[in-house]
Amino acid sequence: MRYGMAIDLKRCIGCHACSVACKSNNNLPNHIWWNKVLTVGGEGMDTASGTYPNAKMQYVPMNCQHCENPACVKACPVGATYKREEDGIVIQNYDKCIGCRMCMVACPYSARSFNWSKPEYYLEHTLGDIDAPVHQYNVVEKCTFCVNRIARGAEPACMELCIGRARYWGDLDDPNSEVSKAIQGRNYVKMLEEKGTGPSVYYLT
Amino acid sequence: MNAKVAKQGGSKLWLIIFALLSVIGLACWVLQLTKGLQLTNLDNNNCWGLYIIGFMLFTGIAAGSLIFSSSAYLFQGMAEYKPFTRIAAFVGAIGSVVAAGLFIIVDIGNPERVWNIILSANIESPMFWDTVILAAYVVIGIVFTRQLIMVEQGEKEEKALYGISLVAFIAGLLVTVTSFAFSMQVARPLWNNPVEPLSFLAAALVAALALLIILFAILNKSGYIEISNEKLSKLGKLAGAFLAVELMVVFGEAAIGLYAGAGDEYKILNWLVLGKGAPLFWIELIAIATGVVLLLNKGTLVAGAGVGILAIFMIKYTLLQAQLLNPLLSYPGPEGYVSGQGIYLPSIIEIGLAVGIIALGCLLVMIGLNKLDLGANTNQSLDKHRLGARSEQA
Repeated sequence: MRYGMAIDLKRCIGCHACSVACKSNNNLPNHIWWNKVLTVGGEGMDTASGTYPNAKMQYVPMNCQHCENPACVKACPVGATYKREEDGIVIQNYDKCIGCRMCMVACPYSARSFNWSKPEYYLEHTLGDIDAPVHQYNVVEKCTFCVNRIARGAEPACMELCIGRARYWGDLDDPNSEVSKAIQGRNYVKMLEEKGTGPSVYYLT
Repeated sequence: MNAKVAKQGGSKLWLIIFALLSVIGLACWVLQLTKGLQLTNLDNNNCWGLYIIGFMLFTGIAAGSLIFSSSAYLFQGMAEYKPFTRIAAFVGAIGSVVAAGLFIIVDIGNPERVWNIILSANIESPMFWDTVILAAYVVIGIVFTRQLIMVEQGEKEEKALYGISLVAFIAGLLVTVTSFAFSMQVARPLWNNPVEPLSFLAAALVAALALLIILFAILNKSGYIEISNEKLSKLGKLAGAFLAVELMVVFGEAAIGLYAGAGDEYKILNWLVLGKGAPLFWIELIAIATGVVLLLNKGTLVAGAGVGILAIFMIKYTLLQAQLLNPLLSYPGPEGYVSGQGIYLPSIIEIGLAVGIIALGCLLVMIGLNKLDLGANTNQSLDKHRLGARSEQA
């Protein structure tokens, strides 16, 4: 079993709803984003490339790629970040993390964030799921494919709010899973595949 | 004799200055521990900065010092430096290793968990290898320094040093392994090449030799050791030659990266040579070139050593940020995840802490020079030195 995701770039409209769903469901501290919708375009977020009338805008949602051969897992000196044998999800043991940021240096996808300050929140009450992760000071964190949610049979939070229905989720080893069916017959790109990381996120083009 | 007394007073003044700077560094660390690493100018892109540069620089000095000291007992051509190996071994094993270790301790978010590197070690991690090497430097350096002192005091035959010298020499060469934290990262094309380990070795030798030249010059003036200008300038030539290797590496990286005209390496080198990083690159290049010239010239040796250390600092400084500020995926995203935001300059807290750590290293070296038998090269000069000290007391 290997959990994976397919993201249809033709359907993504760059609304950032998945980023917000991720942020609120995981009760992420201020300034931390596990799931970012990057703009392939101009110099800033949500800006177009090219000049009118030939301007173009393209979005690439980016979260942890839950690699088959994760560079971060090799790099971590204390084994705080590891790949789960049973489903291929790459997660982080916050209690072990010494905060050296070696994994951030190792990750080709810039998927990881460090808590540079004590976690602070825009709201006074906590957000998201009852079993949302507890965030620690001075540790690195990243997308977990919502391990807490999938443990009880739910889908990752980013799946739920996607307006364009651009995301597909499931077991890549099961040909009948939603994600496998979505990939079938489609052209896809695995981000920076040439680096040998074996990402589990397929970008359908 | 008055001059000597004045000199002693001078060294006491330096002790006080180093102690004060160490305390300021400690205060900065306490502040950083309470307010977090947000007090640094690091962010999610440029997540390593001045502390890691300090780590690289001082592991290099430790390794280079071990190579220098052991070479005197392994190679005929270096045998003339035997009287100065105790100082070098001590500087390497104690001063530099302590500084290098502290730079890692202050860099990591949870220093109280640092034991996890041993208790929960991931032997695949280059950071684990770094830890092993640094620990080995402590042990080897202490044993080596002690044996050198024993030989000096006639408690041991000089021949018996061969074994430990060989170990120290190989340990020094293994500074190449400390480059693996960088050179083995597929995510970092600028670092991900086989010249990096060699560059680390050359940098280690330049930094160590340059520091030793400055130290020997100071101690020569104070009468702690007697070293001829010829011996010093030979060290300068060695350091200059290794710095010239770094010049080739920097040129090679720039030329190869820019020639492509597109791609990941081009993007990085273009940023560094012609883009926002250009001021850093040109300071680096001028420092290296000037360092080589000054080191090879007898009259400007000490200045050359200073510039040489600056050059190595700049090499590490640009190595880190040219790559970290230009990640593979540099599409614009939310605040805090946008790359290409100018250059990284360390914050006041980072500088204070770094200065404090270096001052502590200097303090340890000064204490070692005062308390241990590191200096005099023959029994005769030992007596002279002690005589001098006695007459001062009188």
